[in-house]
Amino acid sequence: MERKEISVLHYLLLLPGVGFIVLFIGSSIFITITQSFGLFSITGKSQFTMENWKAIFHDKESLDSILFSLKMGLLSSIGTLLFAFPVALFLRKGGAGKRFLASLIKIPLFIPALVAAFLIINLISYHGIVNEALIALHIIKKPLRMLNDKFGWGVVAIQVWKNIPFVLLILSSSLASIRDDTVDAARNLGAGTFAVLFRIYVPLAMPGILVSMILMFIKAFGDFAITSVAGPTYPPSIALRMRNTATLFQEWDKAAVLGVIIILTTLFITWLYSRLAEFVTGSK
Amino acid sequence: MSRLILKNLTKKFDNVAAVNNISLDVEEGEFVTLLGPSGCGKTTTLRTIAGFYQPDEGEIWFNDKLMNNIPPAKRNTAMCFQSYALFPHMNVWDNIAFGLKMRKIPQAEQKKRVADALEMMSLTGMEKRMPSQLSGGQQQRVALARAIVTQPDILLFDEPLSNLDAKLRVQVRVEIKEMQKRLGITSIYVTHDQDEALAISDRIVVMNQGHIEQVGDPQSIYLHPATSFVAGFIGLANILSGIIVAREENRVQIELPFGRLWAFAGDMHARVGDTVKFSFRPENVTRYREGSPNKIEGTILHAIFMGDTIDLFLDVKGTRLRAHAESTATFKSGDTAQFSIDETAFQFLE
Repeated sequence: MERKEISVLHYLLLLPGVGFIVLFIGSSIFITITQSFGLFSITGKSQFTMENWKAIFHDKESLDSILFSLKMGLLSSIGTLLFAFPVALFLRKGGAGKRFLASLIKIPLFIPALVAAFLIINLISYHGIVNEALIALHIIKKPLRMLNDKFGWGVVAIQVWKNIPFVLLILSSSLASIRDDTVDAARNLGAGTFAVLFRIYVPLAMPGILVSMILMFIKAFGDFAITSVAGPTYPPSIALRMRNTATLFQEWDKAAVLGVIIILTTLFITWLYSRLAEFVTGSK
Repeated sequence: MSRLILKNLTKKFDNVAAVNNISLDVEEGEFVTLLGPSGCGKTTTLRTIAGFYQPDEGEIWFNDKLMNNIPPAKRNTAMCFQSYALFPHMNVWDNIAFGLKMRKIPQAEQKKRVADALEMMSLTGMEKRMPSQLSGGQQQRVALARAIVTQPDILLFDEPLSNLDAKLRVQVRVEIKEMQKRLGITSIYVTHDQDEALAISDRIVVMNQGHIEQVGDPQSIYLHPATSFVAGFIGLANILSGIIVAREENRVQIELPFGRLWAFAGDMHARVGDTVKFSFRPENVTRYREGSPNKIEGTILHAIFMGDTIDLFLDVKGTRLRAHAESTATFKSGDTAQFSIDETAFQFLE
């Protein structure tokens, strides 16, 4: 009898968290999906239709937005990993300046994305510090367009800078769980630096790498703030395009389509990264 | 196979010498154990041989090759770790084949060698299992297979049995010894377990506080400890000091707080009046029988039944001694009894 009471109380612990997700997030996902098919419409007649989806896939700006955000998501997640992994490896082993570096690298954690974007603008704008320095050093004659550039490198740079500490936290705990003995055993059996890196560190840190890549992708793919400040004039990111569609053009149902596309793309990339991780580590 | 020579090896951490000027010569195919309490420098010595630590002073030679600046990956040693250190993301087969892949051994030979190692370690049929699916004993055998499959010049063991239960420990140590004899690989074995060291080694190096106390075969280390540390660390010992009061031929008489004892002096050169330090084992202190030498009387403080013997803690006029009695004896705390100490059992210490 007593056990049963404890077990009911036990499940009540789930209520705030899971209840919130189911009630607000679950229902809004449901509404978004149904709205994309014309149901529960808040701007017109509610009836099932594929018109919104057709319209989005025939709209060049929406398609460009999707591709642009996809590009930003992939490049930012890969870029952050490439920058953060070596630092995480250094911090695992330690060395002179480890504590200083660990604190330094956490600074971006305390700076909101929008503020970060403005800070980086000072560096990479047309007449920013980097361009002026390169000209002063006679490395370039004319300033480089790094901000609001057509490709979006400015956005990638800010995303990477902003998210390194975040990814570093995940990677560090992943690498910390690798025993020194395991690494020593590999070295003892003939593994050089690269073999240790790609056969021991990378596969054993793969869960952390995977989580960082997925979270980074989700952040950069759905980004609004950084692209609106540092992104190209065209195309807008998918989140910007969604905002414009909903609030400027009052086409909520089409905005819902873009919302569903963000969700589906995120799910697809998560699946893709997991497959990739299995391929790299050679295990399921 | 390699001969291993350590010349005046020193390794410091934060200016404290973990290994302090030790020299050792290990013959090809020999099984040598580094034995000592934790912090004595045995594991540091082993890891320096493997190349994980760079010595601060001294030289490491494999045959006629100086190894000081050779990275671990190029030393052709194979180490068995206390934690087994199996690669958790690889199955048994890939774990064992790892060293062969690193050495770029052709596929066909890899297969043959791994299969042989699996068979030798009774692991056939477990190739596809992950380390987490194996028992401690099985993991240890995979670690051994992974070490021997590369045909190393020197096998290094870092307390490989300390995570196994007592029975399995005895079984695996016999397996290790048999395997080493069959393959003839020079082996350095680190342990703090004296029984393990006595059972498995050709020679034992007893270490303490970074230096070597004594090197010898198991029998001589046990029967003829050179220092009070060795006497106290290997097996149980009564360690005492007293003044020589008489000497006749090869016997000396020693004055102790509880009386005088006669001891065979062997090649000990102390003269009358000198203070000497010596040890004798509890099994050399037995119940007095008419005509036995060195009769003493003691009060029994504790009598602990050990199965094959009774372990006695005695108070002999204020001096604490350990003694043994046959397991059928009946002793209680507080009893007094007479004992005799074997004259030939005395080991004079440095």
